[in-house]
Amino acid sequence: MSVDGIIILENSGRPIIQSGFRSTNATYPLLHIDTLNNALASSPQKEDVDPVLYVPGYISDGKHSACCHVKCGDVRILAPIRGDVDPLFAFAFIHTFVEILQDYFGTLSAATLRDNFDVVYQLLEETLDSIGYPNTTSPNQLRDIVLPPSLLHKILSVTGVSGLSNAGHGNITPFSSPIPWRKAGLRYNNNEIYFDVTEVLKAIAGPTGTLYCEVQGKVDSNSRLSGTPDLQLTFTNPDYLVDASFHSCVRLRRWQRDKALSFVPPDGRFTLMEYRYLPPTSRSLSAPSTQVPVPFTLKPVVTIEEDGGSFSVSLTSRLSTRLFDEIVVEFYLGDGSSGVNCTASHGTSWSFDSRTSKIRWDLKTVPPSGTHTLRGSWASSKKYPRPAAAFRVKYDIAKYSYSSIKIDQLRMSGETYKPFKGFRANSKGDVDWRW
Amino acid sequence: MSQGQDAKLFQRGKIQEFRAELLAAESKDKKFTKRKTVLKKIVANITMGNDMSPLFTDVVQCLGTPLLEIKKMVYLFLVSYGRSKPDQIHLVIPSFLQDCNDRNPVIRALAIRTMSYIPIPVVTEAMTDQLRHCLKDKDPYVRKTAAICVAKLYATDPKKAERGGFVEMLRDLLVDPNPTVVSNAVAALSEIGDRNDGVTFKLNFHVANKLLTALGESSEWGQIYILDSLLRFVPDDTKDAEMLAERIIIQMQHANSAVVLTTIKILLYLMNYMDNRKLVDHICKKMGPPLVTILSSGPEVQYVALRNILLIIQRRPTVLRNDVKVFFCKYNDPIYLKLAKLEIMYRLAREENAREVLAELEEYASEVDIDFVRKAVRSIGRLAIKVKPAADSCIQSLLKLIETKVTYVVQEAIIVTKDIFRRYPGQYEGIIPTLCENLDLLDEPEAKAAMIWIIGQFANRIDNADELMDDLVYSFLEESTEVQLALLTASVKLFIYKSSSETAKQLVHKVLKWTTEEIDNPDLRDRGFMYWRLLAINPAVAGEIVLVEKPAITTDSDRMDRGALDQLLLHTGTLGSIYHKNPETFIRGAAGRQLIDTPALNQTSRQMLVIVTHPNAPRAPVKVSGPGPLEPHREKQAPVRSDTMVETGNLLGEGNEPNVIEDEEEEGEEEEALSPHVKLEQVSQDPYADLDGVFGSHGDQVDEPQSAVSQASIEDELERAQRQRQQTSTGSEPAKPKRNGTFRQSIAAFNQISQLGL
Repeated sequence: MSVDGIIILENSGRPIIQSGFRSTNATYPLLHIDTLNNALASSPQKEDVDPVLYVPGYISDGKHSACCHVKCGDVRILAPIRGDVDPLFAFAFIHTFVEILQDYFGTLSAATLRDNFDVVYQLLEETLDSIGYPNTTSPNQLRDIVLPPSLLHKILSVTGVSGLSNAGHGNITPFSSPIPWRKAGLRYNNNEIYFDVTEVLKAIAGPTGTLYCEVQGKVDSNSRLSGTPDLQLTFTNPDYLVDASFHSCVRLRRWQRDKALSFVPPDGRFTLMEYRYLPPTSRSLSAPSTQVPVPFTLKPVVTIEEDGGSFSVSLTSRLSTRLFDEIVVEFYLGDGSSGVNCTASHGTSWSFDSRTSKIRWDLKTVPPSGTHTLRGSWASSKKYPRPAAAFRVKYDIAKYSYSSIKIDQLRMSGETYKPFKGFRANSKGDVDWRW
Repeated sequence: MSQGQDAKLFQRGKIQEFRAELLAAESKDKKFTKRKTVLKKIVANITMGNDMSPLFTDVVQCLGTPLLEIKKMVYLFLVSYGRSKPDQIHLVIPSFLQDCNDRNPVIRALAIRTMSYIPIPVVTEAMTDQLRHCLKDKDPYVRKTAAICVAKLYATDPKKAERGGFVEMLRDLLVDPNPTVVSNAVAALSEIGDRNDGVTFKLNFHVANKLLTALGESSEWGQIYILDSLLRFVPDDTKDAEMLAERIIIQMQHANSAVVLTTIKILLYLMNYMDNRKLVDHICKKMGPPLVTILSSGPEVQYVALRNILLIIQRRPTVLRNDVKVFFCKYNDPIYLKLAKLEIMYRLAREENAREVLAELEEYASEVDIDFVRKAVRSIGRLAIKVKPAADSCIQSLLKLIETKVTYVVQEAIIVTKDIFRRYPGQYEGIIPTLCENLDLLDEPEAKAAMIWIIGQFANRIDNADELMDDLVYSFLEESTEVQLALLTASVKLFIYKSSSETAKQLVHKVLKWTTEEIDNPDLRDRGFMYWRLLAINPAVAGEIVLVEKPAITTDSDRMDRGALDQLLLHTGTLGSIYHKNPETFIRGAAGRQLIDTPALNQTSRQMLVIVTHPNAPRAPVKVSGPGPLEPHREKQAPVRSDTMVETGNLLGEGNEPNVIEDEEEEGEEEEALSPHVKLEQVSQDPYADLDGVFGSHGDQVDEPQSAVSQASIEDELERAQRQRQQTSTGSEPAKPKRNGTFRQSIAAFNQISQLGL
């Protein structure tokens, strides 16, 4: 169970950085890069390329392998695997590595990787062993071993005052902490911990009503607490949070027993838990009557004619007291569309991207029960235009959660100070509305 | 941080320049900043693939610098070029040994790790002593690094690793107080065990249990190693299996999807050794939600999960039974996700949800992606065949699709309609005229062949069948073999139905003449001869032969063999589960996994135990038995008469295997009643095996209807084999007909008939 290495490609398909590939032939990474580039070139839609590509070996050695790849910003990260390895393992590692890079550099892009290639190289060495075993992937521990490129660090090295970072190395003892995700001896002047809840509604709706709808929630946390605090967090309505999955730090048995989150948090940002919200009355995914309602209705009319078509769509908010902070409606008009002409109702705007043939309608702050309409027509080079079967609607509602999740209590043991607690909820939605 | 500042270092540097710079850096370099900059440049060049090995001696000299950053870069350099410098590597060994005893654990670990990367005897020799110390180091970071180094030492020199007692030391680390050390020891032992050269890594219940205590505090990777190693525990007692399962079931709530899927793999494995039906059901119920949770991740992860779900629901049909909606496709899903979801929707379809599923499939059939649309249309047809109560509405929607006149939609619809006709004989033939209207749209062999089959089979219900056929035959010699075969059979059928029609007579004559005289393909030619003789001997009997009732069609052929499924599930999550193949078939050297028989293995799993690791060849969907020379493997069967034909069919029906009409997926475990020997009795894939019989020792009985049955079935078998061959482009190849032998035999048979003066 190991990945052979990591290759990071820039947009043009050229490698920026790759790990050592010491246990393989030198051509091995090239073979994977070529296979991926060929697959991307021969697919009309880049996102439709299979995420696990089969890479045939040379006829002589018969060693076949597979290439797992993920697009991330303007780079693409490849993890070749051989033998009967779990591709999820590769993807999980890629995602972890991306998180580490983001943690170190803020953003992940070809430019930042180039600027900091020595750090990236060290990170690769530390996170992935030469025969492909993930080593240290917790940012808390990594920061002990690989120094992040901070501004201070840059200044120090430019002015030649490197004594500070040097001194740091003398007395650190990585893994001295008994808890793998938290380093020992942390000190903060202000002890604070924040919880950010994001709930995303995913639904497919159509003329016959809502076909499928579910709400997935995520609790992100930012912890800046001294020492080794042992936290116990309870929610007001934990029974409606089902199928939860947790960060390694959470004691699973405690959750199972009394739905309390008991954990020693890592330092910094981490995702504490993910869950699905089940409305009070329903106990099954398939019972349609008990779904969370989609907070708007869409009335789309699409008429397809020869060489073009017209459409009108009106969106009505079903929220009674809150505002939508942002709604974006997207509609794919089919290949070869052009000459789009629309009228959008007051306060909204539309645009057409001829490259993707998608029309985009932006609505800002839709008031409760407010209605907006977009009418338009388009021409197509095809005799029978084939627009998308669905409008895609994405929206944000701030300071709101479908589940009305609240923190009931946060208790701390193991330390004497009183931490500051912050809590915030946000809701999003991603709905396919068929016409 | 100004952009592109370090990017300048990417410029190809010159060796000489670096050497001079390194030299210059030796003096007046208080904080080692100069050296650091040069080394950075050198490392940058390594990244770009420029050969920096000439600088070996110069770079190595920096190893004495008491700065971690510099040490790291030198070690990076050594890792890249160490193995290519066996004659110079001795220069570094003193530094290695010194660093192995450094105050700083990071440096200790770095040194031992780098040494293990360099598989040169001198280094390995120097390393063994150090490694022994490091495995007992007081710092867990050093211990965990050393554990992996043992696996590397074993890869370089297995004898030394074994003699040095390193494997035993690794085993001792399994009970280390630090969970990361434990999981790395497990990883190293697994790696060594998988090499299959001497050391086997097996767990007993006690150790397995111990490992699970380390599970809670391990990192996600550690958890994966520990969980995965549980496959090395073979339960002797059902209680052990049940207890372990209960302990790991909670890991399905982990945020890391690889942990979740590995847990599921182990649970599926342990379930084979469980007796407690209630617990098995409980686990199955618990498995659904985590799988759904994985589906909220990125598309790549979803893809892997979907491919695995497809396997899991075939083996454990209660999992996700009520959650078909989860798999409804969104318009913007990447195509590979849509295709994977479609397959799962079909598997989960049953009477209760058929309406919803059909509505979805109709929706997909109007989308843009051709591949997806085709699969959707095909799934509508398969749904009709699988779920009887839904057949009516499926036909309605297929008709609607045919009206769209979109060529690939129409073609796909016609292909599936043909199967529906065979599944429900006498029910839907009313739609034939609609199908015939679209003849001109067909340009693909499979669709054409299907339409021709329909015209031939129902020539008596199609008024202008002879005209239609006449048009189709026009381009006979240019058609693909598949279409030619269909045309041949259809024109014979047409002639039998409308023997009075002059067109039909001319048509069949023309086609038979072409096939026997102008076509080189032995399949076609042999069949041409066969029909010709049949018609020549006695057209009435030929009619009975050709138009005999067809064996029922099933959706079973797209189902996986249980034993193979059990084996595949041992690879849950891995590449094998994505390609739905056992890894040893496409990865050389990959160890195939198989269930091991112990007293605890439950009855149903034992029955399906696959001992040979070679994957089963795909089964024939329909068993065709008939008179004819008995094949050696069929000799134990009673002599087959015409009436036993039917019986054989029923027998198999009871066994619930090849002739079953519907997928009994709901019952799931039911098919386990099938005893393995039924499968052995299946006729070989080669349709020609039976063909020989038609003219073989029973050559003198050709005019008796029982031979007819076999012949007609062969025809369907042929058609089906042909279709399968096309459909299984990704699956394993069905056995190819043995052309040579058959050809010779049929010539012999032909001569024999001629001698009989028929």
